Order: sequence, then C-alpha cells, then structure tokens
Amino acid sequence: MSAQVHPAALVPGVLALLPRYASLEDPVAELRAACLAAVGRLGPRIRVVASGGSGGRVGAALVRAAGSLVVESDETGLLVVANGSGRRTEKAPGHFDERAEGFDAALRADLGSADPGLAAELWADVAALDALAGRTLVEADVLYDDLPFGVQYWVAVWGDAAD
Amino acid sequence: MTLALGRHTFGDDDTLMMAIVNRTPDSFFDKGATWAEDAAFARVAEVVAQGAEIVDIGGIKAAPGVEISAAEEKARVVDFVARVRAEWPGLVISVDTWRAEVGAAVCEAGADVLNDAWGGADPELVDVAAQWGAAIVCTHTGGVTPRTRPYRIEYDDVVASAIADTVAYAERALAAGVARESIVIDPAHDFGKNTFHSLEVTRRLGEMVATGWPVLVSLSNKDFVGETLGMEVGERLLGTLAATSVCALAGARIYRVHQVVETRQTVDMVWSIAGRRPPLRAIRGLQ
Repeated sequence: MSAQVHPAALVPGVLALLPRYASLEDPVAELRAACLAAVGRLGPRIRVVASGGSGGRVGAALVRAAGSLVVESDETGLLVVANGSGRRTEKAPGHFDERAEGFDAALRADLGSADPGLAAELWADVAALDALAGRTLVEADVLYDDLPFGVQYWVAVWGDAAD
Repeated sequence: MTLALGRHTFGDDDTLMMAIVNRTPDSFFDKGATWAEDAAFARVAEVVAQGAEIVDIGGIKAAPGVEISAAEEKARVVDFVARVRAEWPGLVISVDTWRAEVGAAVCEAGADVLNDAWGGADPELVDVAAQWGAAIVCTHTGGVTPRTRPYRIEYDDVVASAIADTVAYAERALAAGVARESIVIDPAHDFGKNTFHSLEVTRRLGEMVATGWPVLVSLSNKDFVGETLGMEVGERLLGTLAATSVCALAGARIYRVHQVVETRQTVDMVWSIAGRRPPLRAIRGLQ
C-alpha cells in the first residue's frame, strides 16, 4: 500500500479530550464522538502528526480510545491534529479578531493555505496541516464543523482503511 | 469503602447528605416547624427535591426536656416512616433513636438506618439492626446518659476516646451480625463534649477516617459553631460550612444537615479539591 492511499483524518488538539481532564459531564461530547468515529476509520495502526506535544497527546489518546495503536511507520492511517483560529468570538480564548473568520474560510477551501505568521496571530494550530497538503475539506467526509468555544474545530476523514 | 444502608448501596467515593427531619415540637434549630405530620412530610419532599440521599427522622430532641416514652416515640415516627417509605422507595430512611424497641418498629416500617446518637445506651440496638439488615451509626458520647448536656467532662485525648468508643461499638455491631459495610462511626460533635473538644475532633477528623470505618459528621448549626463565632441558632450556616469543609477534606462520607443545598455544594467543592470527584464540567483553558 502506498502512502497516498492511506486514509487520513483531521481532529483538533482539544485538551478536554484527554482522560486526565475528564469532567462529570463531558463538555465536548459531540466533538469526542466525531473524533472517535473518524479515528475508527483509520485502521489498527495509526501515525499521529501534530504541531506540538499537547496535540500529539490528544491524538494518541484518541487512537488508544478507539482501540488502535500509535505507530511511527507502516501505518494503516494518518491522524493529523490541527484546528482553525482560537479568536473567532468575544468569549474565545484569544478574544475576537475580525480576520479570523476569513482565515478559517480560506483554510476550509485549502488546508495548505495558511500563512504561519497570521496563523500564530489568530491562535490557529495549523503546522501539522502540511501532512494533508493537497486535500480539501470539500472532498472530505466532514463529521464536525463548529466553534463551540470560539475555536474553529474540524473533524474530517479522507478515504477509509477498507477502501 | 462501599456503604450498604439497608436496601441501598453507595460507591467508595460517594458522599451522602442526611437531611434532618424532626417529628418533635421542640428541636433546637426548627423549633417544632415540622412537628405536624404533614409539615414533616413536606420537609421530606423538600429535601428529596434538594438531592438528599438520606432523611434522618427523629421523635425526641437531643437536649433535656419532657420525658418521651418509647410508646410516644413510636407514635411519632413509626407510621411516618411507613408513609415516607411508600412515597420514596429509593430514599434512605434513617431514624434517630437509641431505643431497641423503637428501632425494631421503624425497621419493620421500612427504615434502613438506625442512627444512635447516644453511643449504644441500649445494648440491644445492634441486635435489632442485625435482625433487620439495617445499618447502624455508632457515636461517641463519652458515656453520658441520653438527653443530658455535657457538664465538666474532660478527656486525656478526646479523639483517642472517640476512636476507641466508636470502633468498639462498631465491632460490637459486627459481632452481633450487622454487615461490615453497614456500620458507620460518628464522633458526635457537642455530645459529651465542650466546644474545645468539638473543635479538636474536627481538626483531627482524619484520624477517625483512618480507622477504615466510614465516618458521619453531624455539625449542623451546633453550639460549638455558635460559641466559636458568637452566633445564635439561625446565624450559624457559614460556621457550619467551614467545619464541613474541614471534615470533607479529611474524608467524612455522610453529613447530617439542616441545609442540604449549601452543604452539598460545600462537600462537592472540597471533594473535588481533594481529587476524589471530577469537576462537573471543565472547559476553561482546555478548548
């Protein structure tokens, strides 16, 4: 199997998805369900690509929760941890920035479009999106597309391990 | 430790609110507000709605007063227990009594717990609990006679005395056939104790928890709070909640209370600080 035909998924690096931050009521129940559904379509051996340590931990925790293994090579699927701007609303972690909506719209059309400098200003975690170069959300199976806390999250899958 | 309170069981880290329901004309806090049966019944409905897991129904006030015979005590509580049992099958019903004769009658009517505030004054109460599969609360009173106030009682070490007496009572209950998970110990603040004793028992409650027996605390609006802060009955909620926090941090499992909502919030908050309960819904900084 060549690298090009591996299924891939995109999830956001939301720390609330980690078991150590579990609440009595899950504040990200819908997002978690979407992430697990996406990861479940990547096969038994999954390589995680993230921009930093916390995103990597979130990715690995989702892989484990889905019953798969985190691998460095010979993967059956690729899990990319990234998300849009954290400055979409007044109550967003980074507060409102009027450029954020347009930035996320451009990302939605082309995941490789982000300018790193602007992404940093807009609190967007996009470095790992290089692993999805050439893919768009338009052609993906999008399981989640929302900004419940003023941060743009996407959960999307391209292809299936069974394909 | 898992708790089995009559027909109900609770997990290792559960905390329980035991709401006080007086079928008395003269108890210190409510001054007879629920003396009428319908008023007491409405009080049960209120505390159930507030989330209390247990009601503690009492027919005799703790302080000295007119003598209440066993027959009169039964008249106050037995039919009432049956009525509460029928209305709320999932509610734990405790009865505050030291008399075996009353204990047997309320167990037959559906009570789950015998809360003996007077430290085993009637030696046959444990047999009644064993016979009916009820839980029992073993308190420390320093050996005083029921319904007497402490007068010039001193201890070499009040906590050591509380542990020795309540653990001995617990073991007596166990030997009588009460299930291990149905035995609870209570240092009994203000009972056989001056304010200094009750403050020390609060400060050192962790030593009671360390016995391994689940601990009940009854702090609500008591004189040790009033004397410490210079507050009359009716002004003691904040002091009660401060003492509640200390006991919760130490690991007390059951809280006998007048104010269910306030105590539940306090205990949940402390239980989470102690790392025994996750936050209800945490997203701050985790988005």
